[in-house]
Amino acid sequence: MTCEEFEAIGLDAERDASLSDVERVAAREHASTCSRCAALQDSWQRAGVELRAFAEDTAMAQAPARVEMRLRQEFRTQHVTLKARRAAVVAAWALAAAAVLAGAVSWRNWRKEETANHLASPQSAAKPPANRSNVMTNHEGPVQSAAAVRQSDAAEAGTLMADNEMSGFTFLPGAFAADTGDAEILRVRMQRGALGAFGLPVSEERAGDWIQVDLLVGNDGLPEAVRLPR
Amino acid sequence: MRIAEQERDDVLLRRAAKGDEEAFTLLYRRHQAAMYRFALRMTGNAWAAEEIVQDVFMTLMRDPKKYDATRGALGAFLYGVARNRVMKHLERLPREISLEVKNEDGTGSGIVLRDASTPAMLMEKRERRKLVRAAVLELPAEFREAVVLCELEEMSYEEAAQMAGCPIGTIRSRLHRGRALLMAKLEMFRDVPRRASAGR
Repeated sequence: MTCEEFEAIGLDAERDASLSDVERVAAREHASTCSRCAALQDSWQRAGVELRAFAEDTAMAQAPARVEMRLRQEFRTQHVTLKARRAAVVAAWALAAAAVLAGAVSWRNWRKEETANHLASPQSAAKPPANRSNVMTNHEGPVQSAAAVRQSDAAEAGTLMADNEMSGFTFLPGAFAADTGDAEILRVRMQRGALGAFGLPVSEERAGDWIQVDLLVGNDGLPEAVRLPR
Repeated sequence: MRIAEQERDDVLLRRAAKGDEEAFTLLYRRHQAAMYRFALRMTGNAWAAEEIVQDVFMTLMRDPKKYDATRGALGAFLYGVARNRVMKHLERLPREISLEVKNEDGTGSGIVLRDASTPAMLMEKRERRKLVRAAVLELPAEFREAVVLCELEEMSYEEAAQMAGCPIGTIRSRLHRGRALLMAKLEMFRDVPRRASAGR
């Protein structure tokens, strides 16, 4: 072993577990023959003693109790906040789920009602729209069905029920409110474009839409007023 | 619920992550002394060591998932975190002015030298240890780390290499150079009083 090697690995050869026995013996032999390296080893051993004494002074050192107190306080704060946040998240999800459920139930009910309404007017469902042009008077355009029901026998018909309130009607040209004493309300389905025949404004884009309309029909069978039920 | 003293670190950490304060406290008590000693020996400053220990455990508290039990012991992980904090502290150090209050025994380091001999011997020992401490703290950070881990913490080279995150050869060479510097400094410190007393 050379002096350089001894300085690198020999000074602490007895402690270094990564050295082989051969290297340890070589280090020992070198120290016994080289006075310079032996002096170096002595010097290091003296330094080692002083280092150990220094280590002993700090061997029992511990972090002050205030560190533990601060950490525990922080721990509590953090976990209380975390719990509150978790509760808020759970509550938010529960509310969202309830809203979705309520929405789904009301949509289902609405669909059910819609289907029931369709089934309740079988003639309208049976006849194709092109053939449904001819129910009413010379004023009307293509009216979809004769499913209009008189108020008096609405229960018997069991189909579409017209609102018996006279409000909301728009009087057609030549008709007067005073003449409506014996008039009756008929609810019909018709294409929106047919409203033009009553002098009402119609959007061209939606002229083909099928809508329900209440007609106030006089004794002579002619419509005197019209309204769009809600 | 009472926790068994011998409960494994990773089990305790899992419980602490779920909000078990007792588990966290037990973990802290198990590891704080080693972390504090390491930080104190590396920085030579009790305030800094305290802050570093607090930082280490705050990290563990805020992000316990950072520790992966399959990659080693919790102690090694905490050492790694403490080491990073110490290095950051040492990097900042030249720009900071120490406002540290001197201890009663005048060491000013937070390291209290305990001894019970005659006043003269006590003084001499204190002086010598102050010199050792000053010599250790004057070493460059990497050499100081090797000296602290191998000589003061009495870790094996393998353990020290694992802590420092470098090969064993690097630790050996750092230790070698650290020792050489330390011996030179200690010789110099020894010579200065001698020359001073010879000059009188």
